[in-house]
Amino acid sequence: MIQALRISAIAIACLMFVAGLAASIWAIAGNPLPESLPQLLSENMSRSGVEHPVTAVLLNFRSYDTLLEIGVLVIAGIAGISMAKTTSLEDPELRTSDSLLYALQRWFVPLMLVLAGYLLWAGADRPGGAFQAGAVLAATGVLMRLGGIPMEFIRPGLLLRLGLALGFTVFLLVALASAIGGDAFLAYPPAMAKTLIVVIESVLTLSIAMVLLALFVSAPVNDAEDPEEGGSS
Amino acid sequence: MTLWLMAGLLFTPLAWAVLTLLTDFSRGRLVSWAGILVQVLVSLGLWLAVARDGGFYYGLGGWDAPLGIELRVDGLAVTFVLLTAVVAGACGLHAGAYIDPDKPWHRYFWPLFWFLWSGLNAVWLGGDLFNLYVGLELISLSAVGLVALGGQAGALRASLRYLLAALLGSLAYLLGVALIYGQFGTLSIAGVATWLSDHPVPSGSGMALALMIAGLALKTALFPLHRWLPPAHGIAKSPVSALLSALVVKASFYIAARLWLELGQPIGSLAAAQLIGLLGSAAVVWGSWLACRQQRLKQVVAYSSVAQIGYLFLLFPLTFSVSETVSLQAQQGMTLQVISHALAKAAMFLAAGNLILSVGSNRVDALAGVSRFLPFSLFSFGLAGVSLMSLPPSGGFAAKWLLLQASLGSGQWWWVLVLLAGGLLSAAYIFRIYRASFLESSGTDQFFHPSRSLEVIPLILAMLALGLGLASDQVLTVMALPFEGEGAP
Repeated sequence: MIQALRISAIAIACLMFVAGLAASIWAIAGNPLPESLPQLLSENMSRSGVEHPVTAVLLNFRSYDTLLEIGVLVIAGIAGISMAKTTSLEDPELRTSDSLLYALQRWFVPLMLVLAGYLLWAGADRPGGAFQAGAVLAATGVLMRLGGIPMEFIRPGLLLRLGLALGFTVFLLVALASAIGGDAFLAYPPAMAKTLIVVIESVLTLSIAMVLLALFVSAPVNDAEDPEEGGSS
Repeated sequence: MTLWLMAGLLFTPLAWAVLTLLTDFSRGRLVSWAGILVQVLVSLGLWLAVARDGGFYYGLGGWDAPLGIELRVDGLAVTFVLLTAVVAGACGLHAGAYIDPDKPWHRYFWPLFWFLWSGLNAVWLGGDLFNLYVGLELISLSAVGLVALGGQAGALRASLRYLLAALLGSLAYLLGVALIYGQFGTLSIAGVATWLSDHPVPSGSGMALALMIAGLALKTALFPLHRWLPPAHGIAKSPVSALLSALVVKASFYIAARLWLELGQPIGSLAAAQLIGLLGSAAVVWGSWLACRQQRLKQVVAYSSVAQIGYLFLLFPLTFSVSETVSLQAQQGMTLQVISHALAKAAMFLAAGNLILSVGSNRVDALAGVSRFLPFSLFSFGLAGVSLMSLPPSGGFAAKWLLLQASLGSGQWWWVLVLLAGGLLSAAYIFRIYRASFLESSGTDQFFHPSRSLEVIPLILAMLALGLGLASDQVLTVMALPFEGEGAP
């Protein structure tokens, strides 16, 4: 009885919230926009170094957001591997020895690598870019992992940490170089904008894939313990 | 010059996060000492620059708002940047000596610490709604990572709960940001405020502000959304608890306050302001009451944070539809409360960590005999308590004095009762710890004595909290500096 009351109260609250949200979205949709950001964006596209507006926003106009977002991904990766037990990562028992899967992989893995490269390159003038390419690359890694292909570099050693930090570091160095060059933090020189964006996107792809793969591979299997301060154990 | 300071401020924490990720804990500690020094110098430099020349907008990547992201560097922001440098620097130094370098998972402490710091700086300086969201994410995720670091089931449970609460808060905030963007076509807070100042308020914007403030209130652990805070702050390592209580909860409050001060008057309503004030008052009373009843030392300090955060939310009713003077008093009181609570609570958590280290137990009743054999650690704890109880001349006293004047000046006398009750209740939970420590269980000293460097850091922070009341005028003048090019950068 109490359970049913609780569920119906929660349901009513959710419905009221959705109704309120819908009402304000309806009201907002009726108002004219005081400022047109898309128009401003298209006026400045020629100075951005790329042709696709999403990539221009992510890596030039609002590159500070992207820099910090990559930081968030690195944090997630760090938090993930900080809880992982080193030895279990290459546990042979976790590997499948399915010959069909193995055969399929020989077709899929190269194809997916090419697809990731294409997505990265496509980001310049159509939907695509580092995040999509990184996701595909990570999926390739997951497939390889499930199929039992050993991946030494994914152990939580220096190599993994280097890989996690690579994209972020290059992005940060570009930001610093622009500050040393006399412009603002993260201001690309217009002539080099395209080159820099391509370099940043490429290393970001690697690091994003590394973070996602590290989170998958090092799913927390933690029996290393650190007792609470002053706790009994 | 300011360009260099800005680049240094934004760059060093991120760079140090990468550097320390590549080393182990002991070498990371050396690297971090250098980083703390740089960060303190840069923050001090920027504070002096703003104190001399006034605030400014800083467009990142050479793009101005609304196309790019602009940072708002004003007196309040640089004051909080400097506060962060002091408190986080102290916590970092304390952690270097406190945390066991031999456990392999502790190598991840420094990168998370530096990412947390960069997120805090991003939030204090942020003038763009989405950029503030990213800053909040940096802070929340690194804070969750720090709570979970190497922990047992209890720590993992607390950090997962923290993560879910923080994510829910972030999503509510993000939904509000999306509505604001749909309404006004810009993400710059200054842009929205400028547009609102000479246009009527469009319908439907109340929901956006309500969602953002509700999300931020959840992240700040405002009563009744506070249940995630005590487990997470209580179970983390003491330097981490100090960072979380002193700075992390302030970041989400700071955004809520900025939004309210810029957009509250046109979009908000009297009922909403009074409701938030009421929840803040409930937090003061309920948090203090629960703090009196906790058996474990760090839980007492954590519930005290719930109570002290409640005072901050009195800003909302005290700045809505009141005279200019009252609003200024309330803002100054809120700022002093943030600063003094940050210093005092960091000191208290660090001192609590030292006490737990000494007695080998986290229970309050295990403190018997501490006052005789470990007077130094207890002294820092008590000094911090003076500021929390808001006795003169502490910063807590100056803050509550200003809030009291603002309540009386605006005729909202009911908040005075909250201020008085809160002061009495905080005295109750602090004296309870004292009482436990003055009991004598045995005549011999069986305690572990922490090193001097561990003892000195909380003492300095507690002294700063105490001295803030004397220096509050200087602090408040920098905050109230004129802002060049208001609204139109």
